[in-house]
Amino acid sequence: MTDTAALQQPTSEPDLFAQLASLTSNLRSALDRFRRDSRLNALAEKEIPDARQRLSHVLKMTDAAAHRTMDLVEKSGPPADRTAREAAALTVPWARFRGGKIAVAEYLDLIQRIDHFLAAARTDSETVRANLNEVMLAQDFQDLTGQIIRGVINLVTEVEVVLVDLSRLAGHDASVQAKTASDDIRGHGPAVPGVDHGGTVVQGQSDIDDLLSDLGI
Amino acid sequence: MSKDMKFLVVDDYSTMRRIIKNLLHDLGYANVTEADDGNTALPLLQNGSFDFLITDWNMPGMAGLDLLKAVRANDKLKKMPVLMLTAEAKREQIVEAAQAGVNGYVIKPFTAQTLKEKIDKILESRAVPA
Repeated sequence: MTDTAALQQPTSEPDLFAQLASLTSNLRSALDRFRRDSRLNALAEKEIPDARQRLSHVLKMTDAAAHRTMDLVEKSGPPADRTAREAAALTVPWARFRGGKIAVAEYLDLIQRIDHFLAAARTDSETVRANLNEVMLAQDFQDLTGQIIRGVINLVTEVEVVLVDLSRLAGHDASVQAKTASDDIRGHGPAVPGVDHGGTVVQGQSDIDDLLSDLGI
Repeated sequence: MSKDMKFLVVDDYSTMRRIIKNLLHDLGYANVTEADDGNTALPLLQNGSFDFLITDWNMPGMAGLDLLKAVRANDKLKKMPVLMLTAEAKREQIVEAAQAGVNGYVIKPFTAQTLKEKIDKILESRAVPA
C-alpha cells in the first residue's frame, strides 16, 4: 500500500499544486476586482462630485479675483488722469514763471494752483499706490486654486489608471479615438502644450495674420 | 465710421467682456453692449442697430462660428463687420471662420494694440469703396 501510494504521489502532486495555484490566482483577482470596484465606487460617488465642486469653486475664485483687480484698475484711472492733466496744465504758466515772463496776478494764481496740485497729487498717488497693493493681494487666489487644481489632477490620474485597467479587462483597445470635426465647430478652448487638438495649431497672432492674408482677408 | 459706433461684445466670461469693453472705451468707443453667447447675441443684433460685432468662439449655447454664420445668413446683418476674438488656434478653424465670412481674427491672449489694429483695419477696409 505504502509503495503504491508513493508511486501515485508524483502524478497527483503537480495537479494539486496547479489547482492551488489556480485557486490562489482566482482569489487574487477577486480581491483585486473587489479593491478596484470599491475604489471605483468611492471615485464615482464621492470624489468626482467633490472634484466638480472644487473646480466650480476655482472658477468662482478666479472670477472674483479678476473682477476685484479690474475694479481697482478702474478706480486708479481717474486719480492718475487727474494728476497727469493738472501737471500738463501747469507746464505753460510754470515755463513763463521760469522765464521771468509772468505777471504778478498770474504768479499769485500759479502759486495757489501749485499748492493745490501738490496736495491733490499726493492724495491721488497714495490712492493709486493703495489700489496697486490691493491688486497684488487679489492675486492670492493663485495659491489656493493651484492647490485645488493639483488635487484634481491627482484624482484624474487615479481615474485614468482605473479606467485603463477596466478597459483592458473588458478587452477594449485603449488607444485614443481621433477628434471629430464637430469639435472644431464647438471649439476646443485654448491650445495647451502637449495636448493634441487633432490639427495644426498656429503660433501666435502673426501666424494668423499671414494665414488670413493668404486667404485675402 | 465714427466713435459713436455701436459694438456688441459676445463672450461667456464676464471678465473678458469687461476687459474688451474697457479697451474699447480707451479707444474712444463708448457705446458697447454685452452678450454671453450666440443665442443671446442674435436677438440683440436683429433688434438693435449694431455697427460692429466682436465674438468669442467657444461658448455654451450657440458658438461664435454659428453666430457668424447666422449673421451672414441674415439679410439685415450680413454686411456687419465681425471680429473673432478667441483662444481657438487650429489652422482648420481659422480657415473655416474665414470661409464663413469673418473680417478679422484675434487670438487670446491678446494685447490692446492688436485689438486696436484689427478694428482699425476692418474699418479702413470698409471705408474704401470696393
